[in-house]
Amino acid sequence: MILAALIIVVLLIAGIVIYNSLIGKKNQVTNAFSAIDVMLKKRFDLLPNLIETVKQYTKYEGDLLSKVVELRAQANAGNLTNDQKLNLDKQLTSSVKGLMVTVENYPDLKANQNFLQLQSTWAESEEQIAAARRTYNAAVTDYNDAIMMFPGSIFAGMMNYQPMNVLANTEEERKNISAKELFNS
Amino acid sequence: MSDPINASLQSALTELEIQRKEVSGVRIKSYSFIAAGIGLAIIGFLFPGLLIAAAIGGLALLITGIVFLSKATDKFNSYRHEFKQRIIAAALKTIDQSLELEYHSGLSEQAFINSRLFAQQPDRYSSQDQIYGSAGKTRFSFSEVHAEYKTVTQTKNGRQEHWHTILKGIVFCADFNKNFHGLTLIKPKDIGSALGAWITDKIPLFSTSGKELVKLENPDFDKTFVTWSSDQVEARYILTPAMMEKLCELDSRCRYTISASFTDSCMYIAFPLDKDYFEPPVFKSLLDQTTLNEDISLIRFMYNIIHQLDLNTRIWGKE
Repeated sequence: MILAALIIVVLLIAGIVIYNSLIGKKNQVTNAFSAIDVMLKKRFDLLPNLIETVKQYTKYEGDLLSKVVELRAQANAGNLTNDQKLNLDKQLTSSVKGLMVTVENYPDLKANQNFLQLQSTWAESEEQIAAARRTYNAAVTDYNDAIMMFPGSIFAGMMNYQPMNVLANTEEERKNISAKELFNS
Repeated sequence: MSDPINASLQSALTELEIQRKEVSGVRIKSYSFIAAGIGLAIIGFLFPGLLIAAAIGGLALLITGIVFLSKATDKFNSYRHEFKQRIIAAALKTIDQSLELEYHSGLSEQAFINSRLFAQQPDRYSSQDQIYGSAGKTRFSFSEVHAEYKTVTQTKNGRQEHWHTILKGIVFCADFNKNFHGLTLIKPKDIGSALGAWITDKIPLFSTSGKELVKLENPDFDKTFVTWSSDQVEARYILTPAMMEKLCELDSRCRYTISASFTDSCMYIAFPLDKDYFEPPVFKSLLDQTTLNEDISLIRFMYNIIHQLDLNTRIWGKE
């Protein structure tokens, strides 16, 4: 009798631990995406300054600038889904990279302190987003492992938890960030 | 180390070699007197008829030996001072003009504790031979450290103290090239740390230190180290895939697994070592440059960490 009660108590505790752990892991995924969101917002906030500074010095890069302005407007529109935000960031990264390349043709802009500051803050935000994406992927992997492995899989089935997709690594995450490439390409 | 030691260093070595011979001569004398004194004492015990003569003779020899030993210590201190000021300091300049040596000072105990490299607080601490300077834009320093903690056990003979080494080796500190606010720790993965990490991961209730286990993607890094951080994103911001590879490479060049911490805008690395560096030889010729070459190799190794870990790349908003 006592043994049966003991087994029930142990099973109950194990059940609570597994249940809480699954909820914790799901929350970790949500938190990890929030971190990406914060970093993206920080990056989008850099754009007005960047555009204004570049505008003062460049005369012939209208297309590139208008592309960045357009992307910034989209970023400010709000109501974007997570995928849309990430897609927007991908396009922005590519456009701003293009813009940085053209800076080579404008020595005055290249030497401008404000621009240099923006350039390093942009590089910083790029690495921070890469770190946040890796954190998100680690949280998703952890969550997927928890819901697919026994005995978590039983609880996950009852709680209707589904596996999530990790974010594909961007080119920037795969390679080493090189100062040469960022500033002198 | 294969690089040539310049001519001025060579002439300083030749001058110091005379001093070394003096030190070794006085030491040998002192050891001989002490040994003879002990020998006489033994004879006195073996032959009771000679006890008084042996005791007087033995005592005289012992006192002479101790006088010589004290003289040898003075001479050695002066020789050691010259060695560090003239040889090591000059050797530093052959690597980089900015490098300086302060052999009397080292990493302070508080700085060692603040580095958070080791959770155990030291009960006995000493540090010396601080070398500092810059490699490009990055300021760095490193010092020899010996930190120990004490445990006390009660035996039938009373209390017994046991001293355990926390670190005997070198602590390297460099200004990190990225801004960060929290704490990230990289510890060698041994059975204890791996078990601690596993328990914290499976039962998060046991995580009480305010640091979380960080699971990183690099299998080699994960095999060698356990990473803890107060901020998961910040840990990955610091430990980029490239940085993880470089730390693994750095570790592979060391006999014992390194530990690292990132706190207060600095990067600290602890290198456990078997021997003391930057100490002059007494019974081995200074002109045989093996010892000096080992010292220079170590300094160069520390200096090259900045380049190896790419700490001079300052594109992330930190000058």
